[in-house]
Amino acid sequence: MKRFDLNWPTLIFLVGLVGFFILFLFYPLWYAFVQSLVVDGRFTFAFYELMVTSPVYQESILNSFRLGMITTIATTLLSLPLAFLLVRYDFAGKGFLNGLILVPMVLPPFVGAIGMKQMFARFGSINLLLLDLGLIDQPVDWFGGGGFVGVVILEVLHLYPIMYLNVAAALANVDPSLEEAARNMGSRGFRLFRTVTFPLMLPGYFAGAIIVFIWAFTDLGTPLIFNYRQVVAVEIFNSIEDINENPMAYALVVFVLLLTVFFFYLSKATLGSRRYEMIARGYISSGSRPASRGMTVLIYAAMLSLTGIALIPHMSVFLTSIAERWFMAVLPQETTGRFYTMVFEHPMSLSSIEMSLMLSVLSTTLDIVLGIAIAYLLTRTRIPYKGVLDAMAMLPLALPGLVLAFGYLAGYSGTFLDARHYPVPLLVIAYAVRRLPYMVRAAYAGFQQTSMTLEEAAQNLGASRLRTLFQITFPLILANLVAGGILCFAFAMLEVSDSLILALKDEYYPITKAIYALMGRMADGAYLASAMGVFGMVLLIVSLFLAGRFLGRRMGELFRA
Amino acid sequence: MFGIKLENVTKRFDNVLALDRINLEIDAGEFFFLLGPSGCGKTTLLRILAGFEQPERGRVLFDARDVTDVPPHERNTGMVFQNYALWPHMTVWKNVEYGLTMRNMSQHARDQKVRRALEMVQMSGYAERSPNQLSGGQQQRVALARALVIEPGVVLLDEPLSNLDARLRLEMREQLQDLQRTLGVTMIYVTHDQKEALAMGARIAVMQMGKVAQIGTPRDVYRQPLTRFVADFIGEINLISGEIKSVEFEVVATTDVGDIRGQAGYEGVQVGDQVLCAIRPETIDFLSDENKTTDNVILGRVRRAIYLGEVEQFFVELASGDQVKLIQYGATMQHAQPGDEVRLGFSQQQVVVLRDEAEDRDEAV
Repeated sequence: MKRFDLNWPTLIFLVGLVGFFILFLFYPLWYAFVQSLVVDGRFTFAFYELMVTSPVYQESILNSFRLGMITTIATTLLSLPLAFLLVRYDFAGKGFLNGLILVPMVLPPFVGAIGMKQMFARFGSINLLLLDLGLIDQPVDWFGGGGFVGVVILEVLHLYPIMYLNVAAALANVDPSLEEAARNMGSRGFRLFRTVTFPLMLPGYFAGAIIVFIWAFTDLGTPLIFNYRQVVAVEIFNSIEDINENPMAYALVVFVLLLTVFFFYLSKATLGSRRYEMIARGYISSGSRPASRGMTVLIYAAMLSLTGIALIPHMSVFLTSIAERWFMAVLPQETTGRFYTMVFEHPMSLSSIEMSLMLSVLSTTLDIVLGIAIAYLLTRTRIPYKGVLDAMAMLPLALPGLVLAFGYLAGYSGTFLDARHYPVPLLVIAYAVRRLPYMVRAAYAGFQQTSMTLEEAAQNLGASRLRTLFQITFPLILANLVAGGILCFAFAMLEVSDSLILALKDEYYPITKAIYALMGRMADGAYLASAMGVFGMVLLIVSLFLAGRFLGRRMGELFRA
Repeated sequence: MFGIKLENVTKRFDNVLALDRINLEIDAGEFFFLLGPSGCGKTTLLRILAGFEQPERGRVLFDARDVTDVPPHERNTGMVFQNYALWPHMTVWKNVEYGLTMRNMSQHARDQKVRRALEMVQMSGYAERSPNQLSGGQQQRVALARALVIEPGVVLLDEPLSNLDARLRLEMREQLQDLQRTLGVTMIYVTHDQKEALAMGARIAVMQMGKVAQIGTPRDVYRQPLTRFVADFIGEINLISGEIKSVEFEVVATTDVGDIRGQAGYEGVQVGDQVLCAIRPETIDFLSDENKTTDNVILGRVRRAIYLGEVEQFFVELASGDQVKLIQYGATMQHAQPGDEVRLGFSQQQVVVLRDEAEDRDEAV
């Protein structure tokens, strides 16, 4: 028997795939790395020195760290109790609450920020309401500290679902008999949690914490809207214009990249060696028990109030989008639908929708083709270096969009792919590369769940391999493919950092960039931007709903590390 | 060390009766077996003893103390889980030490006890290993040490050997028995493997559908099964149905293959009862000599002979169409060949006459 299944088509595809990854994953990063160390052909550490010595950069890095840490801690404190309630108790409507948790994710945080700014402004709804009620006699500066608090709040409200998914999965994966063994040995309560449950959850928790930290650390849109400019992401964004004169941004990008790599390495080094799903399960006790009536009420109260708070940004965006006049009043004095009509009339918003649709369709197509092919190779063939292929396809999950987009912009500047002239190819590729892991995972899961004997049966009856693939396999895993495709499409439509960085000309602005640009440009930009935000929100809700219908309960798995 | 008493213990899962009025008494220091097919409630019973499940009705007594509502961590039972449930984030030493730490024992006392426990299960050299660096048998021993080190009132074992390969299983059987004897601790052992229960148990409770079908020594339950289920579940048995014809000097049943004389397997045997005559395959002989006779003689034709080395199995078709299985030891001589017309003989002592209950008939596999 041959060691590997390598025929010419496979080989050519693999070479092409590796080429693609080299060109659009490694080369841009390498380019930024080199640029940060070499100036005019001379090797220098000057920029890294500057990063450490310059008070401006020090401040930015420190702020980003604070943002990341506080967000991580706050999301942890929110998700841990939630996970315990939802994983350990059974009650009516559990599935509904599990779905509800994901709802706040349907809005990019920076769009939420637009609405929040309106609502929490000095004379915004909240202050006016509190003044009216006589609870305060001076308007409160909610987002004091130059907007830091506002950014943190939005990051937390946006990211706690992701933390929750990881924590809940980690908790659910703890073999109940391990906890029972501890109770049998005389342990209980917090001591049991500290000595057994939490250590066992640690790998899953850590994975979630890293995602949340990196996300908050590298988020670009939210600080921009709050005009909180002293963070690494904004520094990088601002230096794009004069990148040739000031290569400082390269050093910052490399810094973010190394930070990401460091965290993932850390988690692998400390936790990767521990495999906890080691022994076959014995008696399966579900680990959950029915909630008492009081407990059910408590769970609903906690979940509904949290989701209510998390949806304030969404609500405020919606209110802003329908406000004709909203000045010194708790709610808009007059409402209007004209901003929605305007979305389809204003040249920038209209073209941005067309642009986003085109980019998303193209990038999703690319994802589907690549994703299916990679998943097929991983599950159905014996090829050398499978682990490497797997790792490469999953890598973008860990890579901040900011870093990749910046690498594209800089690395392909001056070539025929230069985003300054025509950003469409790079935007499509950026979207595709960033969402490829979702598609690979969805297809991979499908292939894995489909018994190979079904394919073998077809081949046994005379169908060729390709024919089997199209007539047997694809119909069986269609749900997974559709769900993966929908997710890729939805996230491409609302991709933030790639769009902000790569789309540099008005006529090529996708939706998110247009929202950002409109905010700054017109008198009623915020209203139009909000209307577009609502449009995006609806799109994402419908997409997630559809994907959920196809994927069922496995939906959450796509968002975990 | 506890003696254990269960009074009317009943447990329901989603309207399925998992345990139905269980009454059991287990003496302090006894090695007691709960035997039954999967789903019979034996594991649930064990988990009720550990406190992981609450009985819906009934009481659990450890000696005279009612522990029905006592939470697991206050029961002082040592459980060995089917999957061992060793904490993968702790070393072997830490795993064993955990229960002592929870009992706020001094460092010195803990060290001593853990060392002794590991010695007892011959795992001293593995103290600093992590559980997933151990083989199944080694993990099993650590789980045992962890349960024993806290000097529990009762050790609860949930199919502890089911994840081991056959040879290791035999080895561990002996070690477990030795440990139980040396420590004199009460042990309750759940298994679906009848051979395990017969080989190790002092007393066995055979369970069926949430009820105790029979309690007794291995010899009792094998030789004097009380129901068709017990007869079928433990070992192999031939069942020939018939009707009681006479109960005067001995129990005689009329069957399709003639009268069969046997022992009453239930109380109040009456003429006219529908019964099953249960006969173990190893108690039936070929009567090669035409003139030789015994309590029971039936005729048949050999359909199949399976040579297994130490024994040889025969399947004999009777005139009624039923098949009877025989096991002959000392399979060096040729007893019979397929196609042979044979006379089968078995003594009246070896036949247990059981009530042929409709519900039993449905459940028996």
